[in-house]
Amino acid sequence: MTVRLAVGGVSRAFGGVYAVRDVSLTVAPGELRAIIGPNGAGKSTLFALIGGQLATHHGSVTLDGARVERLPAHRRARLGVGVVFQGARIFHGLTALENVMVGAHATTRAGFLSAALRLPAHHREERAIRERALTCLDRAGIADWAHRPAEELPLGQQRALQLARALCARPRLLLLDEPASGLRAAEREHLAGLITALRAEGLTILLVEHDVAFVMRLADRITVLDLGRVIADGSPAEIRENPRVIEAYLGPSFVRSPHGAS
Amino acid sequence: MTAGLLRPASAAGTGRAARWWLAGFTILGLALPPLLPERHLATFVLFALTATVTVGVSLLMGYAGQVSLGQAAFYAIGAYAAGLLAVHGVPSLLGLLLAPVIAAVAAVLLGAPLLRLRGHHLAFATLAVQLILLSLLAQADWAGGAIGLQGIPRLTILGYELREDLGYAYAASLVLALAVLIARNVIVSRAGRALRAAATSETAAAASGVPIGRYRLAVFALSAAMAGLAGGVYAYYLGYLSPGSFPVLLSIEFVVMAVVGGLGTITGPVAGAAVVIVLVQVLNTLATRPGMPGYAPAVLSYAVYAVVLILCVLYLPKGLVPALRRATRATAPDRRQS
Repeated sequence: MTVRLAVGGVSRAFGGVYAVRDVSLTVAPGELRAIIGPNGAGKSTLFALIGGQLATHHGSVTLDGARVERLPAHRRARLGVGVVFQGARIFHGLTALENVMVGAHATTRAGFLSAALRLPAHHREERAIRERALTCLDRAGIADWAHRPAEELPLGQQRALQLARALCARPRLLLLDEPASGLRAAEREHLAGLITALRAEGLTILLVEHDVAFVMRLADRITVLDLGRVIADGSPAEIRENPRVIEAYLGPSFVRSPHGAS
Repeated sequence: MTAGLLRPASAAGTGRAARWWLAGFTILGLALPPLLPERHLATFVLFALTATVTVGVSLLMGYAGQVSLGQAAFYAIGAYAAGLLAVHGVPSLLGLLLAPVIAAVAAVLLGAPLLRLRGHHLAFATLAVQLILLSLLAQADWAGGAIGLQGIPRLTILGYELREDLGYAYAASLVLALAVLIARNVIVSRAGRALRAAATSETAAAASGVPIGRYRLAVFALSAAMAGLAGGVYAYYLGYLSPGSFPVLLSIEFVVMAVVGGLGTITGPVAGAAVVIVLVQVLNTLATRPGMPGYAPAVLSYAVYAVVLILCVLYLPKGLVPALRRATRATAPDRRQS
């Protein structure tokens, strides 16, 4: 079996406290993997360790057989890691279309010199980027907003804009950090539909999500984190039955209550 | 509908309007110099050179979110490079072409460590660079020391020597037009989008594949090249350079002009330079009138930057050009639909 993403024994500490400790997982090409866990489980830290926003303290991150844990984020982007952050990290002052065009940066070449001199190759590339970006805007359902400044878009559309931007790079691995949080029901449905469609096209997706119900119907496999460690890994049906998962989600107030030890 | 979507669009005001502005400026730059009396021609040359440097400062501040309080250092490096090369017998046109290259190389060497700093720290570091450069130049006998570099030959283009101010007015206009054109081309390109993106979210830009550090360095070098090119023309125009020609006040002047004109606009730095230079000239004429105290010119020139900057921040926080743009849009509300 080929492996798209392999995380091997990864750890990351903040001020002596481990946010992620000895986490290993593998994702096959075309798989939709969800990572769930209660608040503070280390989901977002793991996401940043894979995307390159944070450096690992121990362990390896391998993309299609190549070690990437020492590479900065922009190099990982060039290797095909697409990232959609939690919240809306969009580029203010740029139009929605331009935001998505920045997404194509990893797969395009033109630099300062060819731009300054307006070389023909530059024009060709610009046209190709613009067309690809318009297609991505359309896929994300926000084509009507193309020429509006990005910061004028409503939150749901800003989220979609981030997704369009990541897709514009044609990633091999798409990382989504809580894409559904704060969305209205209709937007959530549209997002679920889009994720399903991307998976059907063979895109490998790693979905970090707090909302268990949202991932249960989408994911092929689910990895559950608690207190920085993997406590379960399996199909949605297996995860639903797993006693450790049930304890992590339902038990904390009971099991780890500060008054419980007396 | 598709044609409408494919039209290059940008929130930065770099579309069709900018092209008209550019055409207008070019005509003005060509038509104005012969009409100006000799004593104003010198002011025009200085305006065009100052505006060229300011275009670079505006690119740096308005689009890349970096502040340089030492841009006159690169102006000086370009001027001294051109001047020294010419004094040592290098053809003046070659010297003029090398001036921006040398300034850009200096910017890359200085920027590699400096650009690790942000915001005010970067501003102070660039200011320090200029102060160090000025004291080094004052010590360097090979560059004329504190007395200055003298006997720089005039600019010769294809066997034609520029002797008159009019020739330099055209050369300076050309250099300014080139800087504006390059700035505009870069801003709307892949590289420019990446810069503007990184200015609002470095994390998201890096995740899109933008090598932030290298791009910050590249735009720093580009702005230095613009300053260096202007400096080259300046050296041939005056025929004499000294460290005193590049005071810290000059660096501050560039920043004030960029802010007054409007950061994040292409034509703003040109408008800002024009307004500040005319204002300084008027006040200077006033200050040197009989009956004014001897310190009046110095006080008025320093004060004008402070007052202009404060007024601008209070009443035109986005600068002249965006304010004018908003005013014209208000009188012609249907323009967006057309």
